Amino acid sequence: MSDTPLFQVENLHAGIEGEEILKGVDLTINRGEIHALMGPNGSGKSTLAYIVAGHPNYEVFEGRVLYKGENVLEMGADERAQLGMFLAFQYPTTIPGVSMANFLRLAVNSVRGEDDGEGGKKRIAPREFRRMLREKMQMLNIDESFATRYLNEGFSGGEKKRAEILQMAMLEPEFAIMDETVSGLDIDALRTVSEGVNKLYDGTMAMLLITHYQRLLNHIKPHYVHVMLEGRIVQSGGPELAEELEAKGYEQIRSELTPAG
Amino acid sequence: MEASVQEATKGFSRRAAEELSLRRGEPDWVREMRLSAWDTYEAIPMPKRTDEEWRRTDIRRVPIDDVVPFTELRDKAGSRQDLPARVLSALSTGVEDSGLNVQVDSSPVYTEVQPGISEQGVIFTDLQSALEHYPDLVRTYLFGAVPVDDNKFAALNAAFWSGGTFLYVPSGVEIEVPFRNVVYNETPGASVFSHTLVVAEDEASVVLVDHWSSAEGEDLSLSCNVIEVHVGEAAQVRYIQLQDWGRNMWSFNTQKAHCAQDAQVNFLNVALGGKFSRSNIAGILNGAGSLAEMLGIYFADENQHIDHLTRQEHVSPYATSDLLIKGALKDRSRTVYSGLIKVHPHAQRTDAYQSNRNLVLSRNARADTIPNLEIGANDVRCTHGATVSQVEEEYIFYLMSRGITRTEAIKLIVDGFFDEVIERVPVEEVQEFVREAIARKIGL
Repeated sequence: MSDTPLFQVENLHAGIEGEEILKGVDLTINRGEIHALMGPNGSGKSTLAYIVAGHPNYEVFEGRVLYKGENVLEMGADERAQLGMFLAFQYPTTIPGVSMANFLRLAVNSVRGEDDGEGGKKRIAPREFRRMLREKMQMLNIDESFATRYLNEGFSGGEKKRAEILQMAMLEPEFAIMDETVSGLDIDALRTVSEGVNKLYDGTMAMLLITHYQRLLNHIKPHYVHVMLEGRIVQSGGPELAEELEAKGYEQIRSELTPAG
Repeated sequence: MEASVQEATKGFSRRAAEELSLRRGEPDWVREMRLSAWDTYEAIPMPKRTDEEWRRTDIRRVPIDDVVPFTELRDKAGSRQDLPARVLSALSTGVEDSGLNVQVDSSPVYTEVQPGISEQGVIFTDLQSALEHYPDLVRTYLFGAVPVDDNKFAALNAAFWSGGTFLYVPSGVEIEVPFRNVVYNETPGASVFSHTLVVAEDEASVVLVDHWSSAEGEDLSLSCNVIEVHVGEAAQVRYIQLQDWGRNMWSFNTQKAHCAQDAQVNFLNVALGGKFSRSNIAGILNGAGSLAEMLGIYFADENQHIDHLTRQEHVSPYATSDLLIKGALKDRSRTVYSGLIKVHPHAQRTDAYQSNRNLVLSRNARADTIPNLEIGANDVRCTHGATVSQVEEEYIFYLMSRGITRTEAIKLIVDGFFDEVIERVPVEEVQEFVREAIARKIGL
């Protein structure tokens, strides 16, 4: 069991509306590892995130996505989350009328609740839920009024990103993908969000940080860095690869990889 | 309280109206009122699909000749405990009220007013008793807000109303705890013609929660209810209607508030039950600076047909009307909304808002929404909007990505959709009732 990687992508070909965007992606992530997936806009990073999370609009043409050795591609998005996977969205959806607190309570119950032996889930005690929510909100420097607001409605860019990390903190996933979680944030917000993420990283969970910019990696240190270009992971390495990218830019990497003549 | 419609004469007629009046021992003037209303009813043609207001609603199958116009007068209940079980279950335990009035079929069966209320000059009783004890007061207002010839079914109500509710609040008296009216159709095949008359004198304030339900049965029932609300200067009336009829009911509702200067009326109409339900709801802003808030929620399923026709009528300047009606549909249900903001030439500085939003949960359901403006003044602000949409797949995916199942996600979204309306009604037990009803309707 311990030999099975936590998360594996094998030869994944996938896309949207018949168009192939991912053209054979392979990626293995073990427990406790932080990986960064870097690449220019349109290289397929977010597509990978959506496919792993189970967005219904995307289609898989070939390959597998394994979580704890199980192929998740046949599962609904809810089942994947219940298994311990989490995606922090680049553009979180606004849902009018649904309060943050009600939504989080239902989500926590769906993901963390133990089986009650009758096919349902044991509910988290309301007091325990409130205590937990308060604690996590303090940790992420989130105002208490957040809980009564509607999901992402009228949230600033920074608030939306913080709300994503709050959800992650509440759901305590074993594997989290963070899609451009700090892009567009000012330095204070970036610091709060990345500090929050660092606090959530307990050494056993695994993370995949998707980012266009090197900036995030100054705050959250990855163990591995991968570069994605045109639907393939073209280079993998240690943290030094990120710095190399910062110095060279994606264009140089691209030309280095393209055989001359 | 056993009742049967077997022996009773079915269908409405002048003779039936006269007989109802005689059996109730009404004074001549009341009987004359009924008979004249019958003539009005006869003079108004039955609505047809070619009438603009009935274009999307077909009432050719209305069981008007198959129901009995009224049932035998029942014995009064001695206490709350003697009321039918369904009525008792509608009165959620532990909920305070200032008074309770109960009508079963066409009989007023119970009235209770809490201590200290009558002492302030407040009258709360069934309309028949009110006619007997306060004839001058009732005559001043009856059919004042909803004239007999308002529409064919209002005329039929004027001829055949029975039971009913009269709530009168004198000048300056403010009663915070709601009054409660329960109308229960116990006998399938019977008619329920309730008539609610609310009068709030100047600077008075009152809340009335009206709850309609029925025993399920095969025989079709018919309800033609009328709600008249008179709001005096700077007075406030909150009227909440929880329509939860059984599926054998054809329901027609005519509801109108007349607002004097600086008066405020707050409507909430919740339409859940009935095979067929048509509500004509109007806020008439007669006085300058008056306000009508008209909120509504409907949720149709199976083969229900729910139709709302609203009117925000600005007669005087500086008045505000704010209408928000939201509906959800599933199965093969149909809903129709059509609403008019009418601004009279002198009603300058009118501020009118009208919004109807529909959430269609099934491919076979259909919602029609037709907002209308008729503006006779030049310095006004009128906004209207209407939408028919489905639950966004993006919303569902986002919630599912947090471990929530698809059904739970839809429920959360539908709850959220209605929450915008519910949270504007600061009566806790009503909020609870509506939330539970929505959960029941979604079917989870």
